[in-house]
Amino acid sequence: MAEISLTVNGQPTKAQVDPRTLLSDFLRDHLGLTGTHVGCEHGYCGACTVLVDGASARSCLMLAVQAHERRVDTVESLAHNGKLHPIQQAFKDCHGLQCGFCTPGLLMSVVELDATNPGCSRDEIREHLSGNVCRCTGYHHIVDAVHTALNRTDERAEDG
Amino acid sequence: MADHQPRYFGARVARRQDDRLLRGHGRYVADTNPAGVLAAKFVRSHEAHAVVVGIDTDAAGAVRGVRAVFVGEDFAGHEIRCVSSYDEFQESAQPILAVDRARHVGEALAMVVADNEYVAEDGAELVIADLEPLPAAVDVDTALDSGCAPLHPGWQDNAFARRRAATAGFNEAVSSAPHRVSIELHNGRNSGVPMETRACIAEHDPGTGKFRLHTTTQIPHLIRAGLSWALGVPESLIQVIAPDVGGGFGIKAQLYPEEVACCLAARRLNRPVKWVEDRREHFVAAHHSREHRHTVTGHFDDEGTILALEADISVDMGAYSVFPWTATMDAGMAMGILPGPYRIHQYSVTSVSVCTNKTPYGAYRGVARPAACFSIERLVDQIARQLGVDRVEIRNRNLLTSGDYPWRSSSGLVYDSGSLVESLDAVLELGDFEDLLKRQADARAAGRLVGVGLAVFTEQTAHTTEEFKQRGVPIVFGYETAKVRLDASGTAVVSASIHDHGQGLETTLAQIAADRLGLDLDSVRVEYGDTEQVAYGAGTFASRSAVLAGGAVTKAADAVANTLRQAAAHMLEAAPEDMVVETGRVSVTGSPSRFIKTTELCRLIYQRPERLPEDIEPYLEASRTYDAHPGTGAYTNAAHLASVEIDPMTGKTRVLSYAVVEDCGPMINPTIVEGQIFGGVVQGIGTALFEEFLYDEAGQPLSTTFADYLVPVMSDIPDLRVAHLQTPSPHTVGGLKGMGEGGAIAPGAVIASAVEDALSHLGTVTVNRLPLTPERVLSYIDAATDNGSRP
Repeated sequence: MAEISLTVNGQPTKAQVDPRTLLSDFLRDHLGLTGTHVGCEHGYCGACTVLVDGASARSCLMLAVQAHERRVDTVESLAHNGKLHPIQQAFKDCHGLQCGFCTPGLLMSVVELDATNPGCSRDEIREHLSGNVCRCTGYHHIVDAVHTALNRTDERAEDG
Repeated sequence: MADHQPRYFGARVARRQDDRLLRGHGRYVADTNPAGVLAAKFVRSHEAHAVVVGIDTDAAGAVRGVRAVFVGEDFAGHEIRCVSSYDEFQESAQPILAVDRARHVGEALAMVVADNEYVAEDGAELVIADLEPLPAAVDVDTALDSGCAPLHPGWQDNAFARRRAATAGFNEAVSSAPHRVSIELHNGRNSGVPMETRACIAEHDPGTGKFRLHTTTQIPHLIRAGLSWALGVPESLIQVIAPDVGGGFGIKAQLYPEEVACCLAARRLNRPVKWVEDRREHFVAAHHSREHRHTVTGHFDDEGTILALEADISVDMGAYSVFPWTATMDAGMAMGILPGPYRIHQYSVTSVSVCTNKTPYGAYRGVARPAACFSIERLVDQIARQLGVDRVEIRNRNLLTSGDYPWRSSSGLVYDSGSLVESLDAVLELGDFEDLLKRQADARAAGRLVGVGLAVFTEQTAHTTEEFKQRGVPIVFGYETAKVRLDASGTAVVSASIHDHGQGLETTLAQIAADRLGLDLDSVRVEYGDTEQVAYGAGTFASRSAVLAGGAVTKAADAVANTLRQAAAHMLEAAPEDMVVETGRVSVTGSPSRFIKTTELCRLIYQRPERLPEDIEPYLEASRTYDAHPGTGAYTNAAHLASVEIDPMTGKTRVLSYAVVEDCGPMINPTIVEGQIFGGVVQGIGTALFEEFLYDEAGQPLSTTFADYLVPVMSDIPDLRVAHLQTPSPHTVGGLKGMGEGGAIAPGAVIASAVEDALSHLGTVTVNRLPLTPERVLSYIDAATDNGSRP
């Protein structure tokens, strides 16, 4: 077993883990953060996307021990004081989800895109988010939601 | 009906479930861990066809933390059978774990149960399966060859079933027809591939003998029925719970051996047993679909009027007949719907459902309709080409018009209503057909390969008893059930036998109930996915849930509203027939000042029984079923129009534009309808361009990761355009028609038509094979160029 200490959704966290434990399993099974979903376990579908030190990462391709002394943010970090994050709100307003399974990973990719490339066009959104597979929506309403969220003018300063 | 204009029916209200799903608070099967739960891992056959000589589990059983290793004999006496009532149907018995024979790569041979998934995988790696390979039947021709041994004991050949039907005047029509054209069409094997893989957790209470199974399913009550047969215990001792489910598309509408295995293991070990499928397993063990081969011939006159249609259908059903569909579902649907939206009076059709050494075959969004649409629409395009008539014109000459309904098709289906010509007209405008042709001409002049494709179809939805009793299925999917309960706080709980795994029924059923009871939407909660909530039902598949559950909710809510009226009449000293249910209150008609608030009325009914007359019982609850009589189906129709560009060097096809005009009758929530159409279209584009389970000659699957099995990603897909027509069904409550599958039906036909069009100036080529991978498109380019350069 290995001892790791990391920050998860702003909370300092210490744990003993088997070194082969995937970060996705650590988040889900050890910390109970089941918002992060596992869709393929081979790094393709993007359902398990989390932010590691602010950058998107496939939590199914990372070991928990690799997150030692790093900051991990999951979908559970987005809503504040009971209120949806503006990106979540845009998904709700634009019907950007159906079964909801790919949604948490997609939201984390959008958080990163919002930080790195706000205001991008629909085509750029399609290019940037092509690593998150959705089988339900046909993507159209997702692009609507992301375009709305990335081109909003309110609240941007306070959610940074 | 609440006695006022509906507030929610037809409104684009936001979905009720989105808040929890967006916060990561969804509750999927894999998110649950009951106390003491063990993890299961399956060891699967690496041979397509083999004798199981022996399975050595000693090393696996010795791994610390492994609690048990099961093999086929351990679960002897349990199997999954799904027997069609068709004549001469040959039955298969799908073992829970293979006993003496393995019949496809991916078939489960052994089950390792351990303290956690990691240890279970350690154990599974040490299981040694001694398999003696047998010749594999990997395609329908090999399987049906007289030299191929039957794959199941006691069989005569490798056909689950053969069927034949013809209209009386078929031969006469053929001999009178001056023209004919034939085409052979191949549909690749693919599947819905939901983002959540399968998973289940089985628990067994030794005290009561009761099983509880959490599972990723669209059909909880049917799973309970199938488990009852496979386990040999009554349905009252089985509870099936499907919580949030991460996409279904038909793939999760089936009883799988793993579900039975987990129940049996849980009983043996007296511990909960959990299995979460990994993606590689999903590609080889969750069922496949779509692999049809059709030969169709159209006999037509000088104007292009189709006088007779001939079709031979074969479907590669894989190794077993699956529960609850049987192995003949796809062939039966294809036989029925192949004449499609056209006025075809004479029809002759044969079909064969073939058993092969591939993963079993089940339902996928559209069930055979995509292949049938591909066939008839490709055929109509060939007729147009042969006569030199425009593709739109040839359709207008043959499409059913509003005066034709109700139309008894030459296959015996009864189309209730539709707007085929109107939808085609409308999609040409929505998709800027004239502009697309102009752009195509410009692109061609610049040496680029751009094509335009279109298709029209009608689809049977919400079909029930009358249809399914003819399909040979052991359980006739005749109705759905809903229960509506108003509580003492004046809020409603709607329980339904359908399931919502993305379709938004949690919202649309609430919209219906809120309107009927005069409640705010926030005062209605919809629950589903638990066999103990309502008595029976079939579940969510076949574009049926909004129609059938919607009808059942309407009936149940109206019954509750009736009790409200009676109770209010007593309290207000008025006649029940003079009471009106309005938003938030029940009042006396014509005297709006005489009313009682619904919340107060609910409280009094439950808490002040002395205020009720003797003939009203102190509760507000009703269960109703709805079957959309006569059960022949409500027919949705649509027209699709797309343009594509082909890279002549790589053969890669890019969809440039895609437009849909769909008529699914009145819409409960247009935003949700549009989401369903978008999703269906993109899965259809996957079928058309990308997705295929390939096998080598030995039956080894070649598509076992997302790097081999390509699904559409965001950058593959353009913005989509959709518009609606709303022709109500004469049969259903509210005129509703189903629409969950429709989007996925036409894209194969549309994209193939567009690719053929893009190459038409090079030479004549007939695009007849899906998916249109770059390799196949390059071969079409070569064929067109060869044909074109011939003198």
